Amino acid sequence: MAVAWIGNRETLVEHACEQAAMLLQSSRCPVISFDTDIHGTRAAIALAERVGAAYDHVEGAGLSRETALFTDKGAMIVAPGEVRRRADVVAIVGELPAVHHSFVAELADTVPDLSATNAREFFLIGDEGTKVSTFLGSRKATPLSSDGGLSGTLAALRAQRAGRRVSKQVSNFDDFARALGTAKFPVFLFSGHGADGLALEMLQGLIADINRKSRASALHLPASESGWGSVLASTWMTGFAPRTGFARGFPEYDPWRFDVERALASGEADLHLWISAGSAPPAEDNGVKLIALAKTAEPVAGAEITIAIGEVGVDHEAVVYSGRTGTLAAIKAQGASELPSAAAVIRLVADKIPAEAALPC
Amino acid sequence: MLTKIAGGEIIDPVNGRFGKGDLWIRDEQIVEPPAGGDADRTIDASGCFVMAGAIDIHSHIGGGNVNTARLLLPEQHAAHMARPAATPLSNAGWSTFETGCLYAKMGFTTVVEPAMSPGAALHTHLELADIPIIDKATLAILGNDDFLLSMIRDSSSQQMIEDYVAWTVGSTRALGVKVINAGAAAAFKENVRTFALDDVVPTYGVSSRKIVKTLQAAVDRLGIPHPLHVHCNNLGAPGAADTAAATISASEGVPLHLAHLQFYSYGTEGKRKFSSAAARLAELINTTPQVTIDIGQVMFGQTVTISSDVMRQFSARGSASPKKTVIHDGDGNGGGIVPYRYRQDFYGTMQWAIGLELFLLIDDPWRVFFTTDHPNGAPFTAYPALFELLMSRDARDEMSAGGSNGAMALSTLSSIAREYTLEEIAVMTRAAPAKLLGLDDRGHLGPGALADISIYRKGKDIAKMFGAAAFVFKNGDLVVKDGEISHYRWGRALRLNPPPDKAMVRRLREYHERRYGLSLDWFTFPDSAVAREQPFGEVACRS
Ligand SMILES: [Zn+2]
Repeated sequence: MAVAWIGNRETLVEHACEQAAMLLQSSRCPVISFDTDIHGTRAAIALAERVGAAYDHVEGAGLSRETALFTDKGAMIVAPGEVRRRADVVAIVGELPAVHHSFVAELADTVPDLSATNAREFFLIGDEGTKVSTFLGSRKATPLSSDGGLSGTLAALRAQRAGRRVSKQVSNFDDFARALGTAKFPVFLFSGHGADGLALEMLQGLIADINRKSRASALHLPASESGWGSVLASTWMTGFAPRTGFARGFPEYDPWRFDVERALASGEADLHLWISAGSAPPAEDNGVKLIALAKTAEPVAGAEITIAIGEVGVDHEAVVYSGRTGTLAAIKAQGASELPSAAAVIRLVADKIPAEAALPC
Repeated sequence: MLTKIAGGEIIDPVNGRFGKGDLWIRDEQIVEPPAGGDADRTIDASGCFVMAGAIDIHSHIGGGNVNTARLLLPEQHAAHMARPAATPLSNAGWSTFETGCLYAKMGFTTVVEPAMSPGAALHTHLELADIPIIDKATLAILGNDDFLLSMIRDSSSQQMIEDYVAWTVGSTRALGVKVINAGAAAAFKENVRTFALDDVVPTYGVSSRKIVKTLQAAVDRLGIPHPLHVHCNNLGAPGAADTAAATISASEGVPLHLAHLQFYSYGTEGKRKFSSAAARLAELINTTPQVTIDIGQVMFGQTVTISSDVMRQFSARGSASPKKTVIHDGDGNGGGIVPYRYRQDFYGTMQWAIGLELFLLIDDPWRVFFTTDHPNGAPFTAYPALFELLMSRDARDEMSAGGSNGAMALSTLSSIAREYTLEEIAVMTRAAPAKLLGLDDRGHLGPGALADISIYRKGKDIAKMFGAAAFVFKNGDLVVKDGEISHYRWGRALRLNPPPDKAMVRRLREYHERRYGLSLDWFTFPDSAVAREQPFGEVACRS
């Protein structure tokens, strides 16, 4: 089975990596986007340093909203295990990524064993249009909504709780107020997928208000699990979350400038290294060259170089972030194959680039 | 390879070796001078003194809370220099890679991350594995976890509790056990806002004292070399000295280590109701031989406090500077991140002086450990300046002059003449930590010891001397030359490996499946997950 191509021509992985290294070295402004595990991320960041590239996750938009919550305001958050065992009120804040629906269903199916009430009540915070979640099964979630979308509803909830006037009452507010009045540990489920920066900030304001007298917290269900893993690894490696660049030889964090999608669309970037076993790269225009590391049996359309990689936790063992445990976990290969990991291929490429410093990972 | 370190002034308290002489290294170890042997390499150490590599027993260098602090404060650690040629990713303002390089340059070769959440052990070890050059180790946090609190509530046998502690230490690859404000994080989830030694965790009916005593006994009986590492209740509160004194008394003849005692050495005297209780606690330590402490020295400037004492961090939110915090209710402890600036005002000066009083009034350098509780009292990069304060009364007087007179008036610091000798520094930062952690292979320069060696060029400027070692060897590799990294390598995480009890593993499997709906496999990992060659080094339990 072919695993590497230059243009449409099959070649050895070794040779494809050499060519990729040459393209990266000669690029004026290389950018990397990835969707991979911790070790793939580590290898990609080490490569980015070596070639002066900027990097971002393929689902950078939602992740950057979550990152901004931490860099700008901070947050009160809770571990998922504690939510299962303690949350007597669960409020779903806007739309959650599909990958987390099974956990919400699990919350609907269980009661908190560390709570005296041994019962759980659900609310759904959002604008009028938010559909009542199907993943709750037979459980009902009381909808809470007002004007101004999600952030408007959250602002109105805060105001009504504080006894302030609002232009439009939040639907079912009295139910919510009653539930909070007796709840021991209400938890708000949020994600940068369905909530913008203002909504995330409003939510934390509401939680801070509640914590003056009683307890509450929020469960972060990331826009992308692999993405949040990459945020963690990037942060320990460089001090910064993705949307970091090495153009000047040291890491600089700039969520606008190093938004890789933006850099590609604006024509700033001249070379795109795409690393994802799960999704196909966007078609490049503006004459941007593409190197694709993808799970594929044929060359990726428009790519100068294609190298096949395996899928995390399928073709090879991996370390990933799990929204279910709220931390990193080691996962086994479900169907181990010969396909190399993204980390292994990236390291091969980086090894071809002369440097005084050893690769750090 | 045979290396001769020639003509340095040797300071090796463990082996009673002091004065000018040579030191020989073969490969990774210090050896006897070989008969007629020719060195493959000779290091000229004339004008230098030669010590074992330094060991830091308490520095928050990696793991979930540390990383959250990085995430919270990108503006405070912007990088600004181009990368040094030999060391990848070491110029980032606050990265794992930078951490290892900076420690090595100061002659530190082993550093303990003292607060690993057991559920996030893999994350912690991945960060530690990306800290180059030095060896690392972790302490696993217990004492706010439902499994332990339930066992204590249900009067489970001592054996069962030991099996649980052993499993936790083994599966998380820890070198010891830490308890942080025992019971308070669990109580905080029940909306309790302050928690003292004899307070009881709601629904469990278990006191903080009972948790500490239970863990202390388990650690002792399991033969874990490092005694239970205790972060007491009431950290930072005026009057916390009473809590610390009560905890010291509760040690009852069994070894106990109290972390960052400075943060508890506060009385309630004076018009601000905040005073130094350092002299009183130092006297208590001096007369309680089974207790060891580290200081958690405060140095002035911007830092960030990172603590698994979630209740304390929640209550400190108002003091955040800049105004942003993270408060995390975890499976056990969780934690809180509160950025903070220590000013030379009354409170800052008082804390600074209290730390130094403790250093200088505790007589035995084998029982007082050199820490700033990095980064809680100050970043570890302040160590060279702190060495100078300990070794020079003039330096202390000079710094006191810039502080608050009101605070200095309430402190005994200016009357203390003691200056640490190099021998005492070698005990406090080398010999004693190795003994406390059970690391027989380091902390001294005798034949058979690991060749972890730091060599400093003598000079009047003590801070400069300790800030940039002339030479540092790690496992016999010359890693620092003239204060710069000369060789890049990977250290290990030192761990204990007590065998798991099969019945306990079964119990834990059942518990995780029933209570969390998850297989225990989610919380364990193979060594291969760390993706480095030999990421761990095994340390033996006492028999
Ligand atoms: Zn600490």
